[in-house]
Amino acid sequence: MAGNAKETISLLQFILLIHSAQFGLGVLTLPRQLAEKSGTDGWIAIILYWFLATAVSFIMIQIMKNYPQGTIIDLISHYFGQWLGKAAAAVFAFYFAVFAGSAFIREVLFVKLWVLRGSAVPVILLLLAVPSYLVVRKNISILGRYVQIVFFMTMWTMFVYFLTFKEAQFLHLLPVLKEGWKPIFEAVKTLILPFAGFEIILFLYPYLKNKDKAAVGAVIANTLTTVMYLAVSIGAFAFFSPDEITIYHEPEMMMLKVLEFTFVERLEIALFSFYLFTMSSTVLPVIFFTAFCFSKFAGQKKHDKFVILFLVFVLLFVFVYPPTYENIKYMQEFFVKCTLIVSFAFPLLLGGYMWLYNRWKTKGAAQ
Amino acid sequence: MKRLFTATVLILSTVILSSCGYGMPIENLNFPLVLGFDLDEDNHLLFYTSSPVFNKYADEKADIIKVKAKAIRESRKYFDALETGDVTSAKIQIFLIGKKILEHENWFSILDTVYRNPNFSGTTKMVMVDGSVEDVIFHKSKTKPQLSLFLNDLIDNNVKRTRNVKSMAHIFHREMYDKGITPVIPRLVKDKEIKLMGLALLNNKGKYVDKLSIEETSLLLLLRNQKDKELTLSTMLHQVADEGGIFNKNEVSYVVERYKGKIKTKYEKGKFRFDYDMKMYVSIDERLFPPGQITQKQLEQSIKEDLTSRFEELIKKIPKAQS
Repeated sequence: MAGNAKETISLLQFILLIHSAQFGLGVLTLPRQLAEKSGTDGWIAIILYWFLATAVSFIMIQIMKNYPQGTIIDLISHYFGQWLGKAAAAVFAFYFAVFAGSAFIREVLFVKLWVLRGSAVPVILLLLAVPSYLVVRKNISILGRYVQIVFFMTMWTMFVYFLTFKEAQFLHLLPVLKEGWKPIFEAVKTLILPFAGFEIILFLYPYLKNKDKAAVGAVIANTLTTVMYLAVSIGAFAFFSPDEITIYHEPEMMMLKVLEFTFVERLEIALFSFYLFTMSSTVLPVIFFTAFCFSKFAGQKKHDKFVILFLVFVLLFVFVYPPTYENIKYMQEFFVKCTLIVSFAFPLLLGGYMWLYNRWKTKGAAQ
Repeated sequence: MKRLFTATVLILSTVILSSCGYGMPIENLNFPLVLGFDLDEDNHLLFYTSSPVFNKYADEKADIIKVKAKAIRESRKYFDALETGDVTSAKIQIFLIGKKILEHENWFSILDTVYRNPNFSGTTKMVMVDGSVEDVIFHKSKTKPQLSLFLNDLIDNNVKRTRNVKSMAHIFHREMYDKGITPVIPRLVKDKEIKLMGLALLNNKGKYVDKLSIEETSLLLLLRNQKDKELTLSTMLHQVADEGGIFNKNEVSYVVERYKGKIKTKYEKGKFRFDYDMKMYVSIDERLFPPGQITQKQLEQSIKEDLTSRFEELIKKIPKAQS
């Protein structure tokens, strides 16, 4: 049994946890990466990936229905024995550590570039680590509430983003499908990173109060992410001219710089500071699951020690390897390979196995 | 133990908070509101800044500096050497670019730091000076406000009347990198006073090619579907007898109330073809001739003919700029 009865999350929190884990960081560079591969048609790839992500989410939920009282690690221990359970915990711990580490360093770099230019990277990291620890150390329902409050608190920034459409030229989007479908399929690859995060379904499912609605929740979460990405990408494609968008590293941040009201200038500075919350709601759930998997691996009940261990490790890491955008790119490329294994190959194989196993068992029971 | 640990971490992190150690009192700041670029006779880059002065004992209201440097960021060390306070780029409102610079290709790379450094504002307006930047930035007007305020209001008002573009740094960047559009930049002329005289057309390497008058600029903005709040055009009517003399009696001015421009694009025989279908609802605002000289149909017809021929002339100018 996973935790006590208090540790449950509502459907809304389930949706927002998945959505937040996906959104936040990938979105910063998404329009540029799409444009590099497929020009202004890149937004079609987002819709294609939505089908993929939703399908895999469904498979994950089908798997978890076999053992609704525990996480994926408990499920593997139950079906394949304790040792394989430990191995799964180690794999997931490593996967989430790479995810959380790269996301956390990315967040720090964002703060360094746009908000606190004069501060050193380890200092910013330390400053972010303290509140991160305070949110992550307790349990999943605290995290659920945090993500919920952040989502509703930062939703207005999306509307501010829409204000930049005043300067947009929607002509840039035409003609649709200029180069055919091939570049669009290539662009689908760049979406692996921005959509990564739905695999936390495997860990959230046992905590969900109303488990019948899990599939609906997964669809809503993926759709929400897709709609956000579509709005952001189409906005950026319309705002920048087609050859220009690939020049900027983080195009949307540049877009916000043209905002100007008669009563306030340089609004983007306030917006960037607010965006820290959105980014933290991506990083914190992943740090939580990193520590969670490590504690499962070590066979301990509490995970707060592992949060500290992880944060200290990241701190040491940035001391040894001072992060740059180039370094973080390699880290993220490695992470994409991990994602292919953990959120695509693994659920497909396990889902196939569970399906065969259940069929064989029901046949055996009938005879 | 746990509490002690939390307290230590909290105190430590507050102490190292960088924003506490790096204060910037506004009296000690020197923030240029106008940054000018130009070339001297030997093609050396010159940089000018105009910053407001807050010191009440200073006689001048604006502090204007001219330095010779290779790049914007590099010029800063010379500014630092001249200024009392910390020079910051965050508040620049206007870039003045001398025509001498625009007569060379590929000058745009000197603005790299504007787009790279997040300190720079994205709404800074770009203006070309037809003449020398020095004359404009050192110009002292007794009746007008400070240069940055004056130029800002000047451009904003002209944009409202559909007579010029709000050439924000980021919009200009977009035009420079767009293969399908001719970059434009407002053109400033200084005789006795500073005047905003329509637009300058650049080619895709940023070189100055041609200029548009104030009226042509309005027409270009109509072609681009960028009519703002208000637009007035005037036409000379040939049907109406002009009695000669100093007062042109055959002039009619009209406000464009509603404007609808539809563009159909085609690709024919290796060339692009754009069909413009324009609909305007105008109301007469000023008419210098006595009533009864012309019927409404004739009036419509002659306005239409006049505008069509003017649009055609304008369109002929643009391919020259694109080459």
